[in-house]
Amino acid sequence: MYRSLFNILSGRNTRQGLWGLPLLVALLISLWLTVQTREFATTENLFNLVAQAMPLIIAALGQLVVVLIGGLDLSVGSVISFTTAVLALGQPAILLIPAVFLLAAMIGLINGLAITRFNVHPIIATLSTQYIVLGITRILRPVSGGAVPGIVIDAVSGSLLGIPYPVFWGAVVILAAWKLLYGSRYGLHLFAIGGGIASGAESAARNFGVSDRRNIILAYVVCSCFAAVAGVFLAGRIVSGDPNVGLLFELDTVTAVALGGTQLSGGIGSLHGTVIGSLVMALLANGMNLANISPFVQTAIKGGILLAVVGLQSRKKMGL
Amino acid sequence: MAAVLANPIARRLLRIPPSYLVFLVLLATLWIARPNMLNLNIMGIFIRQIVPLGILVLGQLVVMRVKSIDLSGGGIILLINYFISSGSFPGASLPFFVALALATGLAIGLFNGFMIGNRRVSAVIVTLAVSIILVGLVQFLSSGNPPGDVPKLFNDLYNTKFLSVPTPVLFWILLTALVWLLLSRTVFGRYVASVGENAEAAHFSGVPVQRTVILAHTLAGLIASIAALVQTGSIAVGSVRVGLDLPILAVAATILGGVVFGRGDGGVWGPFFGALCFALLFVVMTVLGIDEPGKLIAQGVIILGAAIFYGVRVRTT
Repeated sequence: MYRSLFNILSGRNTRQGLWGLPLLVALLISLWLTVQTREFATTENLFNLVAQAMPLIIAALGQLVVVLIGGLDLSVGSVISFTTAVLALGQPAILLIPAVFLLAAMIGLINGLAITRFNVHPIIATLSTQYIVLGITRILRPVSGGAVPGIVIDAVSGSLLGIPYPVFWGAVVILAAWKLLYGSRYGLHLFAIGGGIASGAESAARNFGVSDRRNIILAYVVCSCFAAVAGVFLAGRIVSGDPNVGLLFELDTVTAVALGGTQLSGGIGSLHGTVIGSLVMALLANGMNLANISPFVQTAIKGGILLAVVGLQSRKKMGL
Repeated sequence: MAAVLANPIARRLLRIPPSYLVFLVLLATLWIARPNMLNLNIMGIFIRQIVPLGILVLGQLVVMRVKSIDLSGGGIILLINYFISSGSFPGASLPFFVALALATGLAIGLFNGFMIGNRRVSAVIVTLAVSIILVGLVQFLSSGNPPGDVPKLFNDLYNTKFLSVPTPVLFWILLTALVWLLLSRTVFGRYVASVGENAEAAHFSGVPVQRTVILAHTLAGLIASIAALVQTGSIAVGSVRVGLDLPILAVAATILGGVVFGRGDGGVWGPFFGALCFALLFVVMTVLGIDEPGKLIAQGVIILGAAIFYGVRVRTT
């Protein structure tokens, strides 16, 4: 009993990675904020916090899928901005919403194909799509503006029984991700492929009849689609298209995933860890705002956290 | 397609870095669109503008040869620009600033190298995080506004010419030659090549893999600080945005020049022409009236295209 508790907290002998510690950190920050400020521990602020954290949680879950197979998707931020820009094109929602997901899936498909069929390193492939998508976004909407369909705004701004809609949407997305990772054959394959790549045996999963190529392509498609969900969500909250809304989001998602104990080399990680990691990020942002820290310093601090968290992970590979 | 790629002549052709071809295509485009622009004076000015990029490419190609990447150049350039333009060191002389810049670059490069070589952290994450931290700090210190002016001497030096060729361009060529000598004629150069080919085999052959990676990153930091000095001389004012897109352009130019992770077919002059391609590309795009979003798309397409070109080739050989 103690041993397994120790294992969970230290992340040893587990496929889920170290997620107990970030949970502790999240609780400590919440405790500190509760003591320090009067506004923090109100139902309103807590729901607000969840609503603010939601885009990051959604996008980070997508990033998690890619990280589990030992990849990295740097186009997440651009896909989010792109989604808000497309939604603000002024067409009916029935056209725009399917279009957004179709386009996101296409971006993911390009990433996946470049990586698997053309042997491009994931970072290089997603970095180039990041630039291409950002360029297209800036053509569609050079500065923020435009009108998002009313249905998208209504879907994220109302509340039911005192609980804001974003909480429900978050629950739906988390359940979907849970089903994908832990309740489907695909999730099992993800861990198998990632575990093989992390231990230097790229062909391990293939030898057991798991098609790594198809699954890797699908992982990038899933990641882009999650980013699109986050984009739709953000578009509803800011009520317009904004080419810069997703700026640095890819790094925030990587930080959240790594904070949640997921190994960036693949194969080890968990959904709850990623959700906790995203919540820690949101709590930190909330706390730093309450403490009146300059947004520039906040960015620097986020970078420092990313560096520290990833620096503490050990891996065999050197370089990229 | 595989049969074509297996052909010895096709394989020989594929060894040529794409940058030479792209350079010729761009030159031809410019010649057709604006023949009067192709004279030494105008081209000198355009090429002078991308000298900071060209210098940054030299550092990038060294780290990419050891299967790593350095995206912290933007942060280093911004920080050094801030040091020089903020007036925090009143009355400081040029040698002081140069020494300060080189020390800064060296320290940041060493930190990158330690994190990547010793702590084995993903190079993308480390260097991006370092860049974000530096950019955040500089923007905080200058409260989002551009700091003051750069000492006049910087810009005066930048504007000099030698035999009607701008000095920065000559300086760039000289540095490129030095890096070429370093990679082809020294023990360190051999180490870099062997670590890139196969780190494990290099380790078992007695190559100090970790030290080579750390040294490569330190060198990249140092080179980035030189690029920062040239960049500061070129814009002649303080800025909170300068050079932020340079690291990614440097990666693009390096890949275009035939140096991909661990493989150095393009040598040093392939990436040199890769940087020149970007000088011409920006001219051609301006001439054709394509603005900033188009440039972003072109950058992405070039990186992806060059990487696919190499990915296909690696698979067939």
